[in-house]
Amino acid sequence: MAAKPGSAPTTYSPNLGQKTRPPIFKDNDLDWVRPDGRGFHQCRPAFFRTGAVNSASGSAYAELGNTKVIVSVFGPRESKKAMMYSDTGRLNCNVSYTTFGTPVRGQGSDHKEFSSMLHKALEGAIMLESFPKTTVDVFALVLESGGSDLPVVISCASLALADAGIMMYDLVAAVSVACLGKNLVIDPILEEESYQDGSLMLTCMPSRYEVTQLTFTGEWPTPDINEAMQLCLDACNKLGKVMRTCLKEAASASQE
Amino acid sequence: MGLPNASGDLSTEVELDAFRRLFPLRFFEKHLLESIRPDARPLGRARDTTLSLGAVASANGSANAKIGSTTMLAAIKMEVMTPSLETPDEGCIAIDFHMPPIVRPGRPAEAAPVVAKQLSDTILSSGMINLKELSLVSGKAAWMAYLDIYCLYADGALFDAALLAAVAAFSYLEIPVVSLNDDGKIVLSEEQGLSDREPVNKEKRKVNLGSIPFSLTCILHKNYILADPTAEEESIMETSVTVVLDSSSQLVSLYKPGGPVLAYTSAIQDCIALTRQRVMELQMILEEAISGMEVD
Repeated sequence: MAAKPGSAPTTYSPNLGQKTRPPIFKDNDLDWVRPDGRGFHQCRPAFFRTGAVNSASGSAYAELGNTKVIVSVFGPRESKKAMMYSDTGRLNCNVSYTTFGTPVRGQGSDHKEFSSMLHKALEGAIMLESFPKTTVDVFALVLESGGSDLPVVISCASLALADAGIMMYDLVAAVSVACLGKNLVIDPILEEESYQDGSLMLTCMPSRYEVTQLTFTGEWPTPDINEAMQLCLDACNKLGKVMRTCLKEAASASQE
Repeated sequence: MGLPNASGDLSTEVELDAFRRLFPLRFFEKHLLESIRPDARPLGRARDTTLSLGAVASANGSANAKIGSTTMLAAIKMEVMTPSLETPDEGCIAIDFHMPPIVRPGRPAEAAPVVAKQLSDTILSSGMINLKELSLVSGKAAWMAYLDIYCLYADGALFDAALLAAVAAFSYLEIPVVSLNDDGKIVLSEEQGLSDREPVNKEKRKVNLGSIPFSLTCILHKNYILADPTAEEESIMETSVTVVLDSSSQLVSLYKPGGPVLAYTSAIQDCIALTRQRVMELQMILEEAISGMEVD
């Protein structure tokens, strides 16, 4: 009788009162320290592991700080929607959150656009002509949201695609930058994202130096745009190297 | 039809795999004759079980349970609700089991709602949680504990792993300290008592668990009883029996959903005996995990 079926009582989360915006983001106050002690231009240490889910063609797990994501790739396989003949394959992406992944339960459904953004970020990098008439499904599950969720999902998804053996032009690495007053902060955590004036997410293929997706939101003064993009490209380069090392380790481990 | 030398000439890898796929039942029966299973386990032994607590920082309590390859992630988030008029002193628990698309793409799995209902019934009827402990202000506010279990890898014995993860998450649950504010709403208390409001539940940071339920799923096939099946075994031999015992070895639930094999009393008693052993193993694993977390 405790779980009354049919009557879902309305519940609320006992949150602390409105967090007042700390008044230090005005002018150039460079003394501010990020909550986790990183420098402004320092990303969180990245942990990647492929082959997490054996029942999928390929899978990867990524953990950057508190953001934990697991991605599975299924395919290429036939699907009802791809019954019409087409020269190129189809890519189908889906990003979902666990109910407990966000600080307030159920906020994951606010991010429904992530599925189509993931699709756009990846479709430029995948050689769709290599699997005509079939579909590749990419499913991402965000276990815990700690900020910069979509960039981590994109990087993890490209690792999973590589693990599945889907042909791609290059690995795809993504990084986001938040604009807090005059400061540019890379790889923001949830708290920093809630204070940001603007954000930039850049997805690129590091070895080819080509950008597959660029998303700006908020207010951006022009000189900062260039600086932010350069920051992102450098960070994507480094992230690309980390991802490559992970793949190499996985391949050499399986050979032993 | 030409069987590849059924007397057991399975010398090459390729033939072994093909035999396994073409004649799965015969493949397993050859192993059962020797009282062993393809992964070298004796019939009554469960797979290696590991438990790690506190995997999800954004939840009030969480646990990750792995039985063999089956992986379950359970997390509890506490929200506040108004208790109903009939039970003003009791909180509520909402249990949900998900098999996300990463495990099984396409249509949602048929097993998910079945396991969800089984879990819900087992946890609520086992008396592990006394709902009165979830009450904050009688008649006005009580905790609603949302327990969500996600299956990250499905390799048989889903219910066992899910129950273990759920139980571990509850044992690692930390209830936040809250107080009643002037609008009659519950808010998180500030740390150093800066507010003048008395915390409503200063002492109740952990939930006292009553008798903890543990389970074991067994497969019945002819005269054999296989404990803790993998997904392959479950799909070939369809009769399964799930026994849930609590820590004092009392029977909480017995579940045998049909199947071609009819279970005589002796088979059921054997299953219960296997479960009793498993309960002791699981209790030790749970205690080790909890004490491991306390060494800070």
